[in-house]
Amino acid sequence: MTIPRLLADAMAQVRRAPLLVAGLWLVTAAASLPLALVVWNDVATELGSSARGATVAAGGDYDWVQEFGFGATGVSTALTPRVVGFAAVLDNASGFVDRQPRPLLVTVAAVGYLLAMVFLTGGVLDRLARRRPLRAHGFFGACGGLCPRLIRLGLLSAIAYALLAGPYHAWLFDTIIDRATRDVTAERSVFMAQLLGYVAWLVPLGAVNLLFDYAKVRAVVEDRRSAFGALAAAARFLRSDWRRAVLLYVSTLLMLGMVIALYAVVAPGVGGAGAGMWAGFVLSQLYIAARLTMKLLFWSAEITFFQSRLAHAGYVRRAAPAWPESPTAESL
Amino acid sequence: MPDYSVRVAANITAMRGRYHAILVAFAGALAWGAPVSAQPADAPARSPRNANYAIAAQLDARSHRLTGTERIVWRNVTSRATSELQFHLYWNAWKDARSTFMREQAVAGSPPAIAPRDAGSIDVTSVRVTTDAGTTDITSTRAFLAPDDGNSDDRTVMQVSLPAPVVPGGSLTIDVAWTSVVPRPIARTGVIGDFYFVAQWFPKLGVLQDGGWNCHQFHATTEFFSDYGVYDVTLTVPSGWTVGATGRQQDRRDAGRGNTVHRYYQEDVHDFAWTTSPEFIERTARFDEPGLPPVDMRLLLMPEHLGQEERHFAAAKSALRRFGQWFGPYPYGHLTIVDPAFRSEAEGMEYPTLITAGTRWLVPRVVTINTPEEVTLHEAGHQFWYGIVGTNEFEAAWMDEGINTWATARAMAEDFPQAYHEERFFGGFVPWSFHELPLRRETFWNRLAGYRRAVRSDPLTTPSYLLSPALGRFITYNKTALWLNSVERAIGWPTMQRIFSAFFTRFQFGHPAPADFFATAAAVAGRDLSPYLDDPYKTSNVFDYGIERLRSDREDGQFRTSVTVRRYGEGVFPVSVVVTFENGDQITEPWDGRDRWRDFSDTRGSRAVTAVVDADETLLLDINRTNNSRTLQPEADAAATKWSLKWMVWLQDHLLSWAFFL
Repeated sequence: MTIPRLLADAMAQVRRAPLLVAGLWLVTAAASLPLALVVWNDVATELGSSARGATVAAGGDYDWVQEFGFGATGVSTALTPRVVGFAAVLDNASGFVDRQPRPLLVTVAAVGYLLAMVFLTGGVLDRLARRRPLRAHGFFGACGGLCPRLIRLGLLSAIAYALLAGPYHAWLFDTIIDRATRDVTAERSVFMAQLLGYVAWLVPLGAVNLLFDYAKVRAVVEDRRSAFGALAAAARFLRSDWRRAVLLYVSTLLMLGMVIALYAVVAPGVGGAGAGMWAGFVLSQLYIAARLTMKLLFWSAEITFFQSRLAHAGYVRRAAPAWPESPTAESL
Repeated sequence: MPDYSVRVAANITAMRGRYHAILVAFAGALAWGAPVSAQPADAPARSPRNANYAIAAQLDARSHRLTGTERIVWRNVTSRATSELQFHLYWNAWKDARSTFMREQAVAGSPPAIAPRDAGSIDVTSVRVTTDAGTTDITSTRAFLAPDDGNSDDRTVMQVSLPAPVVPGGSLTIDVAWTSVVPRPIARTGVIGDFYFVAQWFPKLGVLQDGGWNCHQFHATTEFFSDYGVYDVTLTVPSGWTVGATGRQQDRRDAGRGNTVHRYYQEDVHDFAWTTSPEFIERTARFDEPGLPPVDMRLLLMPEHLGQEERHFAAAKSALRRFGQWFGPYPYGHLTIVDPAFRSEAEGMEYPTLITAGTRWLVPRVVTINTPEEVTLHEAGHQFWYGIVGTNEFEAAWMDEGINTWATARAMAEDFPQAYHEERFFGGFVPWSFHELPLRRETFWNRLAGYRRAVRSDPLTTPSYLLSPALGRFITYNKTALWLNSVERAIGWPTMQRIFSAFFTRFQFGHPAPADFFATAAAVAGRDLSPYLDDPYKTSNVFDYGIERLRSDREDGQFRTSVTVRRYGEGVFPVSVVVTFENGDQITEPWDGRDRWRDFSDTRGSRAVTAVVDADETLLLDINRTNNSRTLQPEADAAATKWSLKWMVWLQDHLLSWAFFL
């Protein structure tokens, strides 16, 4: 299959699984809502019965933003103009590549979210591989059954990412780039060096991501229990057709970039607190849903690519039998 | 209060009669080969000109070394004789980590170490003095002093002993030779790549006052103080390198061996700084404003900032126009604006007739804190305070930095009212401006956010060199600007403008002290200003007024409204309370702000809606404006919902960034 056909097929699979998107969106919202309520409480408490609440609600009161920030603690320290509109996306991307620390509770929320996503990944991959709807118990059965091996793979990937984000990042930026630009007096040259550094960092990060994605695919589709075995199998698969695998990955990345670019144009600003606020929030949630769709697209495309290369295209692991209703029973 | 203004003005008048003799002596006395002044000897002097420098220096760009000689013609303008001279040797602050400057920087959180290859230093190799009795070599009498903190490792103040005292009115010719190592950029001086910014680079005399030598060590929190004079400086740098310097260029000629000699000359200044780089692109413009003298402006721009020329010129013109109209004309006729190289740490600094601006390669079209407008305007504004009035930045830095910050904020509001908040991403290289978050003079340009961090730090009466290294600048810049803007709002701009115009006019080139300013203010205002001056200037009291309680209850068909306003902080400032009613009525109750709390009550047919203390934002030092008001129709929930939803989207996006690698 050509790359466009792979992507088209993958997108069709994702489109046929709207509940996956909805479910992942619910998990994302659930992971962020508690801390958002903490921020809500901090803001409401700080404003109290002040008449300033009206100006803060109505528009951009930068004086208040600065005053609030001075007294903020915990997660509310992250309430700055950097959370407004597309600046939020830039802040997260920038914070990611520059390894900027976040409030502790945000990191805790992220870890919890990742654990929830690891649990759900098995069901998602299984659903996409089977290319047909599963009932809830089938989905969650796959989640539970595949979770241990995915956790093992997750731990291995965490080690790889930690090495890349830790010592490698520090060596690249704090040693190599700093030394190379020590006497450079043109900011644009230093920025180009920084960009090269980002590329030099992100490429291995992407390579690790690609490897572990296919490891997950092979673990799910072929029912491989060994994490190391799945990794080795993924490496063999990538070695056999790395060009198309990379091209597919990059193409999907470009589509993600288009989603982000579109949000840059339509992202809501500070605005007021009326109907426009809710419209802006809905728009932002559509962006979140689109990001999640892109995540599914990555997996779907990889699964489709892998299955298209198998002699038994469409193969997927045999489901565990369950009475009274299960796909296995149906196939009997 | 003693009339310091009269005494200082009398001194200036007495000194000016001797200027012609000094200029003739200066023009003739050059045994070391330093160039002679090309200006007419009888040019009218604006300043005492009691410390005149003729300097010749050569830069070795390969070794980053400067070799220099200077001839100083110095006159004792005090009422006491002196048997010694004290010099600033600022670059020794960066010799190692043991200097007072580096120790204070460490207290402020900066790295305490300085790598040997990055260090700077200045080494005086010869000092000779010439009087009517002849020339004496006093090199062997060199001694280092630490008058501020007794740090015996600090080498930034050097004293030499004279063969005979210099009596009041007497003069001396001093020939000094030195070598120095240009450091890697630190404190606005240094070399990076092929960019040099050279400031505080020559052995500079302290200021002799009636109480003795005023020659402080170099501190992390302070800038500089020196006498006025004529500077005639010859610089030898690699050929093809553009030079920018204090003064106007008089001459440029090939010196052979790949070097070019540049000569600069300036009268009535107290310092000389210069820069050189082969990268500069030169642009010129002229400031012409009816009623003000024209100024030729020269901009030395980094190539990557091409396209930002007009932004620099517009800001400089704003300072020359506004400050000229408000305080007094800029007298020098020319101004050099330097756009420093990236990471040269030379941004945002002032020197006589030369300023350094500061911008970024990527800047938004709108005005933000990182675009060149504010920094250029601010540094050009320094010409009026640091440059012309010449206050002591070691001891009363607020009189330059604070006054200038206040005036800059006003000029920004007048000429660049559309300014917005900006954030920078990806290592600080990529800007993003927020058009819904405008910047206000009262808070942002007066730097309220920084002041909050230092609100309980030192009072303004603290000598600047004793301020907290970490927080001192928030007192000298931010608190002063907020305080002066508060005074301006209390007494009105016309009175404020008259005060500063009188102060500028009376004390040009006069080295005034804080008492001179307060005396001028009282005389011009014609009223007691102590309620607005005492607490903010003399204490580190926190200013925080708030509405503690607002009730409006129906009683016998009417509404009885009661308001409790409280002084939460220790600071006292006159304020007023405004109560607004549902029917649109408004009442204003003035309050001297002294008591801890005050109750106001009213009975009328309409219910109160809001009560606000200091509704017109007179007291800009108030650190908490949220508690300044209370309403019976709060909208805190709506505001909280708006901001928490945005925060939630940010967190969701953050989580997805992690999940991408799942």
